[in-house]
Amino acid sequence: MSAIDFSDPTTIALLTDALTAAGVSGLEISWPGGQLRIVVATGEEARINVSSTAQPVSAAQPVVVKAPMAGHFCSGNSSRSVADRLPRSVSAADTLGFLRVGPILLPLCAGRAGILTRQLAEPDTLVGFGDPLFEIEPQS
Amino acid sequence: MPETFDGRARFDTVLIANRGEIATRIQKACRALGLKTVVVYSEADRQAPYGRTADSALCIGPSSAAKSYLNKDALLLAARLTGAGAIHPGYGFLSENAAFADAVEKAGLAFIGPSASSIEAMGDKISAKRAMIAAGVPCVPGPDTALAEDTAAIERLALEIGYPVIIKAAGGGGGRGMRVVPEARLLQEAVALTREEARQAFGSPSLYMEKFLQHPRHIEIQVLCDTHGNAVWLGHRDCSMQRRHQKVVEEAPASGIAPEVIGPVGRACVEACRQIGYRGVGTFEFLYEDGAFYFIEMNTRLQVEHPVTEMTSGIDIVQAQIKVAQGDPLDLAQADVNCAGHAFECRINAEDPDTFLPSAGVITGLVLPEEPGIRVDTHIHAGYKVPPYYDSLIAKLIVHAPTRAEAMARMREALAGTRVDGISTNIPFLRALFEDSAFARGETDIHYLEQWLKQRRAP
Repeated sequence: MSAIDFSDPTTIALLTDALTAAGVSGLEISWPGGQLRIVVATGEEARINVSSTAQPVSAAQPVVVKAPMAGHFCSGNSSRSVADRLPRSVSAADTLGFLRVGPILLPLCAGRAGILTRQLAEPDTLVGFGDPLFEIEPQS
Repeated sequence: MPETFDGRARFDTVLIANRGEIATRIQKACRALGLKTVVVYSEADRQAPYGRTADSALCIGPSSAAKSYLNKDALLLAARLTGAGAIHPGYGFLSENAAFADAVEKAGLAFIGPSASSIEAMGDKISAKRAMIAAGVPCVPGPDTALAEDTAAIERLALEIGYPVIIKAAGGGGGRGMRVVPEARLLQEAVALTREEARQAFGSPSLYMEKFLQHPRHIEIQVLCDTHGNAVWLGHRDCSMQRRHQKVVEEAPASGIAPEVIGPVGRACVEACRQIGYRGVGTFEFLYEDGAFYFIEMNTRLQVEHPVTEMTSGIDIVQAQIKVAQGDPLDLAQADVNCAGHAFECRINAEDPDTFLPSAGVITGLVLPEEPGIRVDTHIHAGYKVPPYYDSLIAKLIVHAPTRAEAMARMREALAGTRVDGISTNIPFLRALFEDSAFARGETDIHYLEQWLKQRRAP
């Protein structure tokens, strides 16, 4: 599910800032590979739990990168559409686009190496949890 | 744009924080008022038809209700992302969650329901009872204070009230957290067990004791209040047909209760609303036995059974609820409320008609009745997949006719004309119930349905 690397401290910090700014007391995000729970407590430090239950994925199956939460989908490069540059090779750490939640842009990582074949969401549209964003053909 | 009672701008978009038939019902009311709707849904409800007819629809989480429809933060983020100005909680889920109502208003949105303080006050059964006594609403014999820890004092109180008594959790409701004590020797164990249950289920060990009524009916009074001090009651309902404390069939009005008996109770409910500063719709639930009413609790939300009152009063309760949240004064006075005819509602559940086990799956064929005097509130269609994660209610069959007998006959026709293929439903059970002679005579108590089922199962 997750196209954002939720184990990345920078991502968690950005998300925590966004939640605090929005007056939201916490958030729980689940994806097939794990779970992130942020509790923003007034007067205390935020509590953050990340647990991973990642399962190996068959290399032959195309992988759909889905939105891990609701937000506005932004493609990776404003000057040049991601869709115009497909197909192309990506590494697991590559940022494919962003999810805008309020003033915060959350990077959407590929999560696995392969050929990015399709962009499945229109840029600047509101996407919900689990909405498909990209398709990657994994490379072994 | 004019402001509402609390200084907010009037809203033009409502986020519906619920699912199923009530999401469809709220959407219809919003559309009639010219408001836009945002539907939020879980992954299991991704194909729900009301998502396609909403102005905006957003998946907020996985199928589990705890991570979607009960996820306060996901709902607030969805409201912010979609620009919704109000949240309608429907019934169940977060509809009676004071913390959610408070969070919604603190986020600058309108909560289409009462204030957090009203929800909190009525959620605590002891404080609710105290407020009702102050307003002259008749209550079940028993003190309006929590039970002491002192066992001798508890025994004295039970003797004063008279056995049988019932021990209830102050934070309980819906049939949970209560225990009937038929005689003195069973009292202390019942108190200890209920206290522990209350501590674990409701987070508070607070208990209270009341007289246990043996053959009561369940009668409700629907109220509607604005933020300008106006309040009306919209007649009464009988919801005695219950199985395991879950209502199965509801009707309006409750038969066999004279206006001079129910009138003062309705007026006392309105007075209670004024005294506690209640806003929106609410339901006072009573036990009724031997010509007397006894308050049990107030539901601070829209009820599943609201359509029977809509059918008899001619008032669209959901629209009225939304208008109150906009800050509008009620456009009717008590004298304008004229209930006419008789209405029944059957809850159509996706469940086995004999075992009542839930039945999820794809609806392969669907026929719904369309005759005059019949209303169907539902979100299902042929091809719809009933998910296994939520309540089994898939439709409400509602009928209205000049008399109770005619309304029963109409419901028999409506049930005969309803077909849901591919999954099991309780329709065969409802058809049999509407052929029962004691039910047809009316005034059956809250235990009748369980006894009727037991007799049917007997060899």
